[in-house]
This record gives sequence, C-alpha cells and structure tokens, in this order.
Amino acid sequence: MSTGEATVFVVDDDASVRRGLERLLRSAGHQVATFASAREFLDRNLVAGPCCLVLDVRMPGVSGLELQEKLTALECDVPVIFITGNGDIPMVVRAMKAGAVDFLAKPFDDQELLDAVDQALGRTRPRRSGRDLH
Amino acid sequence: MGRGWSQQKRERTAVVFTAVLVCVAYFVGSRVGDALRFMPLITSVMWPPNAILTATLLLAPPRRWWIYILAVFPAHYFGQPADRGLLLVLLLFLTNWSEALIAAISVRAFSGSPTRFDTLRRMAGFIAGAVVLAPFLSSFADAAVVSLFRGEPYGMVWRVRFFSNVLTELALVPAILLAITRGPAWFRSALPRRRLEAVAVMVAPVFVWSVIFESMDGWHAFRASPALPLAFLLPSLLWSAVRFGTGGTSLSLLVTIILATSATAQGRGPLTTVPGEGILGLQIFLTLVGIPLMCLAAVIEERGQAQEAVREQLRFEQLLARLSSSFVHLPGEALQEASETWAGRLGESLRLDEVALHRLSRNPLDFVVVSAWTAPGLPPRPPCTSRDVPWIAEQLRNERVVAIERPEEMPAKAARDVETFRRKEIRSCLSLPLVSGGRLVGALTFITIRSERAWSQELVQRLELVGEVFANAFAQKEAQDALRASEVMKSAILGSLSSGVAVLDRDGRIVAVNDSWARLTPEWEAFGVQVEADDNHVSAAWTAGVDGVAAAREATVGIAAVLNGSRDSFAFEYAAGPPAAARWLALSAVPLKGPEGGAVVSHTDVTERKRAEMEAQRSRQELAHFTRVSTMGELTASLAHELNQPLTAILANAKAAQRFLDHTSPDLGEIREILSDIVDDDRRAGEVIQRLREFLRKGDADFSPLDMNGLLRDVVKLVASDAVIRNVTLALDLGPEATAVNGDRVQLQQLILNLLLNAMEAVAEASPEKRVVTIRSRIEERVVHLEVQDTGPGLQEGVADVIFEPFYTTKAAGMGMGLSIARSIVEAHGGKIRAANNAAGGASFHVVIPLVSATRT
Repeated sequence: MSTGEATVFVVDDDASVRRGLERLLRSAGHQVATFASAREFLDRNLVAGPCCLVLDVRMPGVSGLELQEKLTALECDVPVIFITGNGDIPMVVRAMKAGAVDFLAKPFDDQELLDAVDQALGRTRPRRSGRDLH
Repeated sequence: MGRGWSQQKRERTAVVFTAVLVCVAYFVGSRVGDALRFMPLITSVMWPPNAILTATLLLAPPRRWWIYILAVFPAHYFGQPADRGLLLVLLLFLTNWSEALIAAISVRAFSGSPTRFDTLRRMAGFIAGAVVLAPFLSSFADAAVVSLFRGEPYGMVWRVRFFSNVLTELALVPAILLAITRGPAWFRSALPRRRLEAVAVMVAPVFVWSVIFESMDGWHAFRASPALPLAFLLPSLLWSAVRFGTGGTSLSLLVTIILATSATAQGRGPLTTVPGEGILGLQIFLTLVGIPLMCLAAVIEERGQAQEAVREQLRFEQLLARLSSSFVHLPGEALQEASETWAGRLGESLRLDEVALHRLSRNPLDFVVVSAWTAPGLPPRPPCTSRDVPWIAEQLRNERVVAIERPEEMPAKAARDVETFRRKEIRSCLSLPLVSGGRLVGALTFITIRSERAWSQELVQRLELVGEVFANAFAQKEAQDALRASEVMKSAILGSLSSGVAVLDRDGRIVAVNDSWARLTPEWEAFGVQVEADDNHVSAAWTAGVDGVAAAREATVGIAAVLNGSRDSFAFEYAAGPPAAARWLALSAVPLKGPEGGAVVSHTDVTERKRAEMEAQRSRQELAHFTRVSTMGELTASLAHELNQPLTAILANAKAAQRFLDHTSPDLGEIREILSDIVDDDRRAGEVIQRLREFLRKGDADFSPLDMNGLLRDVVKLVASDAVIRNVTLALDLGPEATAVNGDRVQLQQLILNLLLNAMEAVAEASPEKRVVTIRSRIEERVVHLEVQDTGPGLQEGVADVIFEPFYTTKAAGMGMGLSIARSIVEAHGGKIRAANNAAGGASFHVVIPLVSATRT
C-alpha cells in the first residue's frame, strides 16, 4: 500500500474527471490534491515530499506538456503521469523524453493509473523540498 | 423630225386643198349671186361669195386668212361679168373681203367658239358682228364704188347691198359652218325617221311657193289681205327652228330665201307689186323673221343642251351612286370581280374603248393591272404598263391627272408614251391617280381608239369621283389584307406555343384559346377546374376554389386582380393531376392593353423544370449531408475528447466506488455522490452523441422557430474541444434579446459550424495567444446579425466575392463547398451573407437572417 504522506496532484480542466480521479486515488489510499489548470497548480507551490503529478495534456492556457517543461526548467523533479483524451505518438515521445513516468489514454483502467502512481511515488526523490517554485 | 416633217406636209396639202375648194365655192357663189340680180342693178339680192369667205375665215386660224383671201381672188375675177374693168373688179373684191374680215374679227371677238351657234349669246354675237355690223360698214364702200363707176344711186345701192348681205350672212354662214362641222356626224347618227322629217321640213317651203303661191290668185282671202301669204312661210321655218336647231333653221331659211328671191325676181309670188321694192320688202321681211328665228333656234338648242347635260349628269350620278354602293361594303376578295364589272359599265356609259384599273404595289413601287375592259368589237389587248408609258406613270406617281386629247399634246420627253400610243392606236387618254387618305393606291385609265375625246373639266371632275370610289376600295382591301396577314401571323404564333393561351374579356369570359389550351385542359380537369372555351375562367376557378382547391382560389384572386387593373401581372405554379403533383403547371395573367380591357392567361407545363429543381434540391441536401459527415471527420479528435472526458470520469468514479465498498465501513454518502456524478457524466456523454446524431441527420428541411443564440451556444460546444486542441480561443458575444428565426436546425447548425471551422482554420497559423475567434449576435431592424470574426491573415484582395462560389478553396485538402453551402443555407432562410476584412486584421463573415416575426409563415 502507499505511504501515508505521499501526495498525488491531479491537474485537469474537466471538473468531473478531476472528481472521479480524486475519488479513485483516494479509494486506493492516496492523498490527493486537484487543480483546474496548470497555472493554479504552479500558484499553489506545493511540491514537497514524496509526490507525483497526474497531468492532462490538453488544457486551455498552459497545456500539460508546457507545465512539464516549466517544472523541468525549475529543476523540480516531480514524476509526471500524463493522461490524455487523444494522444498521438509524437506527443507521447515528447512527454516520455521529458521524463514522464507513464502516458495513459482516457478512458484508462483504474489499475493502470494506480500502478503508474505507485511507480512514480517510488521514484520520487525531490531534490529540494519546500523549494519555492517561482 | 421625220414625223414632224410629214405632218407639216400633210397640213400644207390640206390648206391648199381647202383653198382650192373655197375658190371653187366662191366662184359658184358669185354665179348664183349673178343669177339673183335685178337688172340693171349691179347689186344682187343675195351675194353668197361674201358669206362663203366669212365662213372660211371663221373656220380657219387667223394666220392662214391671207391664203384664203388671195385664193378667192381668181374666182372673184372670173366670176365678174366681162364688161367690168379691172379696177372696179378689184375695188369690189376689196369691199367684199373687208366685209368678211369685219365679220370674222367681230364674231371672234364676241365668241370663243366662232363656228358654234348653240347658245343665245353666241348667236347674238354672230348676228351683231357678221349679220349687221359687217354688211353695214362694207356697204358704204361698196355703194361708193358702184355709184362712182356705174352712176347708180348711192342710197339705193347701199340699201340693196346691205339687206342682201344681211340676209346672205344670216342664212348662209351658219348653214355652211354647221354643215361642215356637225353635218356628217348628224347624218351618221340620225334615225331614218329623223332624216325623213328633215327632208320634209326642207320640201315644205318649195310646196308653199310652187303650189300655194302659184294658185293664190284664185284665192279670195289673198286678194283681201296681200300680206297674208307671207304667213305661209312661218310654219316650216318654226318647225325647223324647234326641231332642227340653228343648222336646220339656217338651211330652211336659205331654201326660203332662194325660193322667194327667184320667184319674186321672175314676177311671181305675193311680193311682186313693184319689182325692186318687192325684193326689198322680201329682204326686210325675211331678215325680220330670220333673226328671231335663228335666236329662237339657238335658245331651243341651248335648252336642249342644258337638259341633255342635266340628264347626262343625272345618269352619271346614278352610275356613281350604284358604283359607290356596290363598293362600300365589298369584301376584299370580291374587289377583282367588281372592278372588272364596273370598268365595263363605265366604259359603256362613257362610250369609251378601253378602261384599265391599276393598283400601286409597294415593293417594287409599280402599277399592277387589276382589271381591264375593252369595248365589244375591239380586239382585247394587254393594258399599258409603266414601261410602256413612263411619262404618264411618272405623272400619276406625282398624283397628277393626265388628260390627253391627242398624242401630239404630250411633251417631248414623253416620246416613249407617244410611240406606245401610236403602236396601240390610242387616240385619247385620261389617267387619274387613285389617292386614299393622302396615299397613292393606284390609277384609273380611260382610253379611246376609234375617235378623239376632249376631256372636259367637268368630265374629269366626275371621273375623279369614280376614282375616289376605287381608291377607297383599294385602301380598304389593303387594310383588310394587312389585318388578315396579322391575324394569320398571330394565330401561327399562338398555335406554335406549347403554352395554353386564353384571351379573357373584362368579365373573365374566355373569348379565344389556342390549340395547346385544349391539350392542357384535361390537366385542369384533373386539378378540379373545368374550363372550356366560352367559359368564364374566373368563375370556373372560383367554383373550384369553393370546392376546396386552394390553387384555384389563388388563381381566381390573381386573375381578377389583373382584370380589374389592380395588378400589372400575376403568376404562380401549381401541381395538377393524380397522382398528386404528377404535373406542374405555371399560370400567368397579363392585362390586355386597350379600351376593351380583359387579360391573357397562359398555362405552361413546367413539370420538367420542376422535377429538375427538385432533383437539384435533393442533390444539394445530399451534398450538405456529405459535407456535414466530412466536417465531423475533421472534428473526430475533439469529439473523441468530448466523449472520453465523461467516460474517464465515469470509469474512475465507478472503480473508486467499488474500492470504497471494499472498505470495512464505506462512506455511503460518498458512494451516493459518486453515483450521482456517474449519472451526470453518462448524460453528458449522451448529449454529445445526441448532438452528433442530430447534426448528421439526413432529411428534408424542417422549418420551425429557433433561438439563434441557443444554436450558437450548441455549435460552440460542438467545436469547443477542437478549439482547445487547436489552441484557439472562442469568444461568445451574444446579444441579450430573443433571437427567434424561422429555420431548419440542422442547416443553421451547419452554417455556424462551417463559419467557425473556417475561422479556426484561418487563425491556425497565428501565434497561440492571437488565435481568437469571436462570435457575435445582435438584433437590428427586425433581422438577426451574426458575425464570426477571426484574427487570421484576412482575405486576399478580390476574394470576398468568389469565396462563396462552389469549389473555391485555398486549402490543400478542402473541397471548396463549405462557404458555398453556407450561402445557400442563408439564402434558403431569406438572408444574406458577406465577407470582409477587419480593420485590425483578420476576416469577418457577416450573416443577416430575418426575425421570425418578419418572415412569411
């Protein structure tokens, strides 16, 4: 089972998807925080301790891939699991190259996501906890 | 020149012949005069030579007088008794011809026709000049000569010569002139009975003298009143005056004078008491009787002529009246026959030899023979043409009357006409131009061959009236022909039309139909209206309307509106015949412009066109559907996303619920929330599917009131995911008012979708933050304005007009149908679409659609 203090961040512009994923992850014992946009996530400045990011690729404003790039640029080594409604191969390649843990196509099996989250959390080694991302 | 020369020669011969004749007559006259002489007086009781010379000078033109005066000199010389000296002979000759000269000059001064004595005025002129003045003057000279040479008493010589010459001039000059000018004609035309009467009137004085006067000595009554026997002379003289005119009277008088003179000279008869004085008495008596007699004869002749003229005029007017009445309502085809008949009647009544009627043809402009008549007994010959008589034709074309008494009268330039006259032996000709309504329509020609004819002004005027009748008949025929030609053309045109055409009077009654009308009438029957020729079109349509055929009601109202002038035209299309709409007919009505009013109604079979239209409509719909399907293809990615979102949420929620339920104490409240969310998400996915299905629905247009803003929001939802994928911002700026339009949901969705996709395509190349598509709506003047504005590169110059054309595209993979379909949808909704560049860059598509209250339902 998962460690109690680890947090799974979910970023998706679709409210019902957010709620569903939050419940699923919670039912598996994860601590979950959801965000409606990449901007909101960045603003909260929460990346500390063991955590991982479940990220929707297409969002209005800053997209998932752009957020990943920003985190990399900030040297924030949070593991990212991409979820997308319609991913294509170039997009997957780009995401994986940028260090994504997994790339899941909606709608995905619950176990797939949970496995990916577990894998991500096991790998989490935040270089600088509590670091201001700004 | 040859002709002129020979004519001159002929004339000369005639003059010489006449001169010889006059000379002989003069000589004979002088012998007669000698025989009627009372010796020893030199002056005769009657001296014919002077009268003969007077008659000659009256007949001959003045320029030839000298010829005849000289010609009679030998006769005068040899006619004189041998005992007279040359000087005396010469002087007497002088006095004699001076008398003739005075007589001829004065008569010519009094009368325009010196050889005629048929009016009182002419006769009076003759008596005053030739009978009184000439002897009166010349006798002074004669008496002087005679008394000088022969010692005879002047007064007695003057008196004897004066009275003898008065008597001679009075009796002999008219007798000679009329015998020459009118005698032959009278003899030719007089009936035997009339000739017998003439002989009787001449013999009567002989009877009086030889029977009555010879035996009168035995008559007691004669002895009692010596003047009574003279009364016996009057009956025959009066008889001749009443029955035989001036000519007969002068002859009768002459006979009486000769008888009386010779009897008295021989001492016989009632006037013999004193030889010389008896002759004088006789002369005075005969002069006093002769002058009134001659005047009486002239008056009677004048009366007779006037009567004859009146009778002639009456006859002519009757002829004209019959002619007019037979031509006035003459049908065109009978003109030929009637004109032939009347040419003959005119010719017979005017005693002509040929009558020809020509019509002026328009192309080429020439006279064409309509009818020709030739007098019986003459060989019929073809009438003259314009080529035969170019000068006359030219005169007629200039609407001038041509009256020719003799061919020689024609001018030098009419040489060809003269030649034709000679060849055809035409003596006289009268050609009248036929003019009707100020327009030359033909010519009427009268010709004489057997005699010359003087065309008196009166006759020409009368014949011009005849010409008018023919001219009007010609003009009428031309008008009839023109009318018939236009009728033929009209019916040919009407007959060739495939449309059924009916002419209605102002009450809507059918007055004429073409052949196609009859062919299309069964269609009407099937449609519920029975319309036959002579039916009232409007009421038939109305009856059908009352019976429930809606189209007939519309036709009724429309046609009635055209008939009463409230509409300029009316047209509509209707389906006819079972099965429903098997045939389509188009009805149109236009008013007849004219005082009578009415309308022309036509029915045209437009089934083929209608079928083609419906076929095109179906093709358009299929194409529209196809493009909708392909549009959906473009939207696949975003649609997948649209569906994946709720599905993902549903799956996650369901799995979470399962896990929660595996817990020892599941939070049922949470489970309830989860299920509620699942239901919502499922519904959300269903809506996507529903929209998609609606959009891809195939079928006919279904117009109903729709909220335009609601439609805009729906379509924006449909493309929202796509916009996200393309990183395009969709901005909605919808007006607050209700935007109800009457339209087809699917079509209008397609319109908006096409415009949005087009706009999103346009901004694809712009940087992400500049990819904005704005959708606006507002209401203005009872129409909805929609605007889709993009921030793309804008339209190229000149493209705004062609982008709505089918197959116009700037995209590599595009079909070029999107905007074309958009336009046809807008137009089907009674709206307009246009494209323009924005001032700040990018393009705008502007759509205007009428609000529901503003459109016809």
